Amino acid sequence: MMDALIERAASSLPSLRGFLIVTMPDCLLYASWSRPGTDFSAEDASGYFGDLIRANRQGLRAVGAWTSDMQVTIEGANVLVVLRELDEHFVCCALFDREAPLGMIRLHLKVVIEQVRAALPKLELTQLSPGARVVQFIERYAPDPHAALLRISTRTHIPLEQLRTPDALTAQQVTAIEEAAKRILGLENIHL
Amino acid sequence: MNRFADHCHRVSPHDLTFLAGVPCVYHCHHFNLFHDQTIDDVLGESAGFDLRMRVARDQFGLLVANLAAKTGATLPAEIAALARSVFATMGQGNLAFEGIGASTRATGEHLHYGFAWREKYGARVRRVDPSDAVASGMTAAVARLTGPDNVDYLGRELQCVSMRAPSCQIVVERDARPDMRSVIAAPQILPRLPSQAVTGLDEDVISNITAGLDTFLRGVGGDERGLIDAFGVLVTHHLSGYYNETAFQAVRHVEAISPSVAGACEELLREAGHVCVFNTFGNILLSPEWEGLVGRPTGDPHEIVRGCTAIARGLGFGHWAIAEHAPGKRLVLRTSSNYEAAHWLERFGPDTRSREYFMQGAALAFMVLSQRVRWSERPQLTQAFYDQLFRGDGLGYRVSTPRSLTMGDELTEVVVEQTR
Repeated sequence: MMDALIERAASSLPSLRGFLIVTMPDCLLYASWSRPGTDFSAEDASGYFGDLIRANRQGLRAVGAWTSDMQVTIEGANVLVVLRELDEHFVCCALFDREAPLGMIRLHLKVVIEQVRAALPKLELTQLSPGARVVQFIERYAPDPHAALLRISTRTHIPLEQLRTPDALTAQQVTAIEEAAKRILGLENIHL
Repeated sequence: MNRFADHCHRVSPHDLTFLAGVPCVYHCHHFNLFHDQTIDDVLGESAGFDLRMRVARDQFGLLVANLAAKTGATLPAEIAALARSVFATMGQGNLAFEGIGASTRATGEHLHYGFAWREKYGARVRRVDPSDAVASGMTAAVARLTGPDNVDYLGRELQCVSMRAPSCQIVVERDARPDMRSVIAAPQILPRLPSQAVTGLDEDVISNITAGLDTFLRGVGGDERGLIDAFGVLVTHHLSGYYNETAFQAVRHVEAISPSVAGACEELLREAGHVCVFNTFGNILLSPEWEGLVGRPTGDPHEIVRGCTAIARGLGFGHWAIAEHAPGKRLVLRTSSNYEAAHWLERFGPDTRSREYFMQGAALAFMVLSQRVRWSERPQLTQAFYDQLFRGDGLGYRVSTPRSLTMGDELTEVVVEQTR
């Protein structure tokens, strides 16, 4: 339903290439639309831009300047990205043609956001278990997501069946998965 | 251009190829990276690199020694030049050697693994370990072949483009625990092949396509970078013993120390087959060369399965034949020769189950590509499309191997069936 709503709202904006709604703090894709012929992975983008919003929130809080209506604008080589909080559980990411005037973008985006915001569900935040969080993290960011759990299984020696029920993982297993995730992604630390 | 085409021998009717007597196949960078990644997942980066380097050293050592014997290269400089030339011709990249024996060093430009890794993953993952075990193995082989004392060396990659270095630098050190095994090559493999190969549906059509592909591939060699940029992928002419020995040692290792996760390791080795068929076979089917040889794919499922079978033969994977095909429901491939089985049998003897992981994964991917890709729309074979086709348990097909050369049967039979 939300996908259809976004498509209707976005179709009137010829400079809009894509529109994502991302859940926070998990950075999972909730709904998306992209103009036909646009080639990008909505799931990948939602993870990265969701992380950016989270970092932005923390940075603004650190300098005492956070507000719930903050907006991030990124001027890429051929795309202009606008990130905007919708409510405490959802953010949106809009991708425009690079040459689109910023003033018009803000104006149009405001209209789309109002329609989307009105249709968002009311959520109760669910606290994920440590196991579920780390498994979600690696499935989202691993370079070969189709093989992520198999790779974790071979690295940690935790059977696949256990990885598929992550809430039951022990603290020791979660630590092993975090270590494997760091090796797979080349990270020194992961923040879950 | 392939300077070494005259030394490349295709064994008819089995569609296995040998370069100077060493078994070889064509694989693309997607497969190569996924394969090496799996070895490292099982063994860890350090032990994984060590195994891959040692196997590459032994394989390429035999190749260069055989080529040197055939071409009359005896001086260290001649051997180093020969090694550099064949490495680049195989699409493995440019590797410039200095010194001999223990003082051998190599500088790599556009080495296949490091370059391809940076291109595919560099924007998403920070690599902290070098990629070029194969080039390091070749460097160690050159050190042995050019040194005065005929001792074994280890190749160590000190810097690698996949770790954002400007070039790859490789040195050698004396091997403190040499365990050089005899490489499984033509003398061990050829006696295992039956006089006749199994045949299947559309044999004449498939054979004609395979012959055309073979002619095309004989002319393919590395460009000025030492890379083979063809069909939208980076192709290597690679020594199949490298894949076999590293995969089989990895799976046996995990079976020995942690049997409960051996299945995950085997699944990754099958997944490599999906990766290969999607990227290499798929891009060949969409290539201008295929259009010239066969015509544009119309999307008829049997046409795709037939084409994929011909490609498998053309790439030197063995004489795969279609025994049955009910589109979307059941596909049975048979072969009396594939590049995996002879290696397993020679190394470990008959087993209780099939060890032809690549063929199992590839057969399932034949079914997926024939049923779920709209070929007439000429789709882009992107990672996102791959994920859409192959991710998770939603494949809808299962693969089994009721008969297998590695189980001592006279042929291998891979069955793909619909599960829902």
